Amino acid sequence: MRSESMNLGRKLACAVLVLVLAASAAANWLAPAGYARQYRDATGAPPSRAHWLGTDEIGRDRFARVLYGTRISLLLAPAAAFLSTLMAAFIGGLAGYLGGAWARIAMAVTDLFLSLPWLFLLITARALMPLNVSPLVSVLVTFLLLGLLGWTTAARVLCTTAASLRSSDFVRQARAVGLPGQRLFWIHVVPNLKPVLYAQFWISIPVFILSEANLGILGLGVAEPMPSWGSLLKELEGMVSVGEEPWKFVPLILLVVVVTSFQLLLSRQEEIAA
Amino acid sequence: MKQHDRGSKQLAYRCGSAIAVALICLGSLLGQLSAQSGELRFCLRAEPKTFNPLKVEEDSSGAIRYLTGGVLVRVNRQTQELEPGLAQSWKVSKDGRQISFRLRSGISFSDGTPFTAEDVAFTVQQLMDPALHSPTGDAFRSGTGNVETKVISPTQISIRFPSQVAGLDRLFDQVAILSQHSPKKEMAVLGPFMVADYKPGSEVLLKRNPNYWKIDEQGRKLPYLDSIRLDIQPNRDVEMLRFKRGELDLINSLDSEYFDKLAATSPQLAHDAGASLDSEQLWFNEVAKSPIPGYKKNWFRSANFRRAISEAINREDLSRVVFRGHAQPAMGPFSPANKFWFNPNLKPQTYSPDAAMKSLQSEGFRLENGTLKDKDGNTVVFSIITNAGNKSRERMAVLIQDDLQKIGIHVNVVTLDFPSLIERMTQSFDYEAIILGLTNVDLDPNGEMNVWLSSSDSHQWNPQQKTPETPWEAEIDRLMRAQASTSDLKKRKEAFDRVQEIVVEQQPFIFLVNKNALSAVSANVHGAAPVILSPQTFWNAERLSVPAK
Amino acid sequence: MAFDTPQNDTLLSAHFSLRYADKPVLRGVRLEIQRGEVMGLVGQSGSGKSTLAMTILGLLEKKRAHAEGSIQFQDSDLLQLSERELRTLRGRSISLVLQSPLSSLNPALRIRTQLKEAWRAHASGTNSDCGNAIRTCLESVSLPTDDEFLRKYPSQMSVGQAQRVLIAMAVMHRPVLLIADEATSALDVITQSEILALFRALNRSTGMAILYISHDLASVAGICDRIAILHQGEVVECGTTEQIFANPQHEYTQRLMAAMPRILPAGPSIQHKTQAAATR
Ligand SMILES: Nc1ncnc2c1ncn2[C@@H]1O[C@H](COP(=O)(O)OP(=O)(O)O)[C@@H](O)[C@H]1O
Ligand SMILES: [Mg+2]
Repeated sequence: MRSESMNLGRKLACAVLVLVLAASAAANWLAPAGYARQYRDATGAPPSRAHWLGTDEIGRDRFARVLYGTRISLLLAPAAAFLSTLMAAFIGGLAGYLGGAWARIAMAVTDLFLSLPWLFLLITARALMPLNVSPLVSVLVTFLLLGLLGWTTAARVLCTTAASLRSSDFVRQARAVGLPGQRLFWIHVVPNLKPVLYAQFWISIPVFILSEANLGILGLGVAEPMPSWGSLLKELEGMVSVGEEPWKFVPLILLVVVVTSFQLLLSRQEEIAA
Repeated sequence: MKQHDRGSKQLAYRCGSAIAVALICLGSLLGQLSAQSGELRFCLRAEPKTFNPLKVEEDSSGAIRYLTGGVLVRVNRQTQELEPGLAQSWKVSKDGRQISFRLRSGISFSDGTPFTAEDVAFTVQQLMDPALHSPTGDAFRSGTGNVETKVISPTQISIRFPSQVAGLDRLFDQVAILSQHSPKKEMAVLGPFMVADYKPGSEVLLKRNPNYWKIDEQGRKLPYLDSIRLDIQPNRDVEMLRFKRGELDLINSLDSEYFDKLAATSPQLAHDAGASLDSEQLWFNEVAKSPIPGYKKNWFRSANFRRAISEAINREDLSRVVFRGHAQPAMGPFSPANKFWFNPNLKPQTYSPDAAMKSLQSEGFRLENGTLKDKDGNTVVFSIITNAGNKSRERMAVLIQDDLQKIGIHVNVVTLDFPSLIERMTQSFDYEAIILGLTNVDLDPNGEMNVWLSSSDSHQWNPQQKTPETPWEAEIDRLMRAQASTSDLKKRKEAFDRVQEIVVEQQPFIFLVNKNALSAVSANVHGAAPVILSPQTFWNAERLSVPAK
Repeated sequence: MAFDTPQNDTLLSAHFSLRYADKPVLRGVRLEIQRGEVMGLVGQSGSGKSTLAMTILGLLEKKRAHAEGSIQFQDSDLLQLSERELRTLRGRSISLVLQSPLSSLNPALRIRTQLKEAWRAHASGTNSDCGNAIRTCLESVSLPTDDEFLRKYPSQMSVGQAQRVLIAMAVMHRPVLLIADEATSALDVITQSEILALFRALNRSTGMAILYISHDLASVAGICDRIAILHQGEVVECGTTEQIFANPQHEYTQRLMAAMPRILPAGPSIQHKTQAAATR
């Protein structure tokens, strides 16, 4: 009974993801126009046959922007989340596993990292970047930055978890079997950090998508006219009621649906393992 | 005096809006209970920095000064004419250095202290005291030396400045008279209202000044209102929400988006007073020592290139799309709303990508596969920066990006936080083009000396020039100095007309649009007549009334 | 073997002391294990049995645990070996089986993966080589070798099965010495006797020596050739099982004997004796 409903959920999630990915891949054919095309005589239009999701404030087809934005965000946000998760696993996990001075140094670095004036550093990062970068490079750099910066909190949790794993029976047993140190780490420590890593990964994706949008105020993030989920979500800013223009919520719904689907799909193995 | 609009401050408050909305629900309940008769309510968008009228330098303190300060003469915000205030009459000397006032008698400050010419002398001395650093006083500082005040009688005073001050009489619109003797210092006022209570971070309560001198045509004492409650509220969303709930009576300078939303539901509350003095403009970096590539400097320093860009920008679309029709394509440096100073010979700036292309070609630019190259084969690409969070500027940038793509120019739009933007604009000069706005509070263009003089810090496209780098900048310098050295209005007007023509010809600032003055006034308020000049909705606060409950 | 001398029959010869920081745990421990024998190590909990086992495998943190003396094993002194050299011995020449089978297996990995890793630690070869090795060792501990079993996670097995998996892993590379630290203490009586039988069988079939560690004298009696008694960090007595049972020399050994559960209820005199010893 339970596994049946789970299977249904999985199938549904799978279908949603395939659909979303296919649609964004086929954006060139599906979208009525490019994401930058401005219909200046139909700005802020409600959905119509010509513009399925209406147009934005300067008359760009929202459907096209959602499709193209999906490409950017669905590719880059998970990539950045993966990077930050990897770094958290590496820094936090390894430090906890090695223990002693290593753990102390790593946690000191993490604390330092957490206490850095990020706004200032990001502004400096922007200042170091030339102004004339293409929108794509800009968004790539932004997600890279997010990936490189977003690991700290998870690293702390991972450090303590890894430290307790280090003294666990199965790690001792594995050492007695003669496994080399790095193998021990990858085979015995990392898989057991998975729940934390999964959480970090799944939390990071929506957080990064939104951060990317907010970094726009620092001149980072996706640059006009290129769309991203973040920049599309910005449209919701200052909206008072859902009822007014519900089609503007499509990017938000899409974000929620996609993240949930991924989670449904990938958490299954976890459940069996647990 | 022109100032760059600091529109970016809102961003910090944005995330707080949800909490703010929740608090309002509570607040509205309490608000209902405490509502009084004859009380006007509106928002200050920031904490007032001072109650000393001579130290005012931001909007919130300015609003309080306008409502509480008594001035010798007042610019009528509707007619833009100068009208008598505490002074019944006044006279500026031929050489423009001296002004004499004849004051009304029998007037006293809010605390009962009598008002005499001594107070005017005291105020002027304070105003010009270098130690006080009065921003209002800066406008009067034309040369070195002391200002002389001569009290002829309790109702007569003459003031002599070390050198000629252009538009001297109108400057007194900003000078609220202080009492020399009142123990309450600057809290003793001559205006229609006085500060009764101030809760930092929350509100300022103004009560009617019982000693206010003005009476209306029926002989009734002004002001009509008992009190004005000013809520300190930086969040525009919250301000709008509260207005809609009827908890606020006025909103000054509305966003076009909010305006349209309001107009859609209650058109009678939304007021579009037409083009204001505020302008939005694009300019290129022409600073010789700036760290941008030499070939780009050559483009930017070419008037031909700047004119071509100006011609390629569809200003009609900017007004229509970005400002939803609540802006007018700019014709030049002065808005037509400036009734006296606007040069009526100026024509609307043409939009013609073809003409732009032709004039670019005449300078050796050419199209290659849809991309514009200069005569040395450099691809024409540049970035436009603007302050993040200002939606209309961001949108203008995107429209311009699209417009320029049509003549093969690729534009990168970069939004920056305000401090970084200012740093690039004034310190490092590490930018190519910039979109910013100028808010203009002064009708007299003499207040723009600092923008137009080539030696000035605020000569943004190429500030602090030792000697003018171009003949036309030299010519503008000459005209600006000439107008400052005469008080002959006709001559001054001629000089400024010429400045406007040169600017349109040379396009150092590519003026884009003049925003309309948009405001909201609740149906409760009687006597409201929003205008384009600040303070748009409450310029006639003394004659506004709200039915008592 | 041609050069089989009596000396060569000694597989491991330890004589060392060990302290944690300032706390001495093992004091001049002497222990010899002969090839192919099953050696019992008995002592109450806290007497240093696990520490001894870990020292032999070099698994203690060098910084915290200071060992002095020597542990001769196959021509080398284990206490002098580098971590790298020790690692090549672990699991290949000397194996370890721990007390609680379920926590000694990684809960996040399938059995197959864990066995594979154990094989890869000391062997290289194709997947089918690996599969064969796994099958062989599983068969030697009487576990199923089918895919379904190999795909299981530790949580999906019984304790007895898990312990057999651990043993399979330990004997995979045919070590000359297997150390079982309380390997049966957590098991129910029936499973315990099954596992004991398995050890005995493995000892017979492969000729590997076993150091069988337990706090329970009774459980070692069945399988051990010789028994060493560890008391407060010292080996107080060492002899053949018969010797120990028939004629315990050390007073502590006598107490252990007395505390052993018997079929007959213990006489009052013995109980009295134990109490007297405890209060002394
Ligand atoms: N890591 C350690 N640090 C300090 N003391 C320890 C450590 N491990 C064990 N000991 C001490 O060493 C003694 C022997 O422990 P152990 O070898 O585990 O005994 P057994 O296995 O016989 O129960 C005990 O007193 C224990 O407190
Ligand atoms: Mg133990």
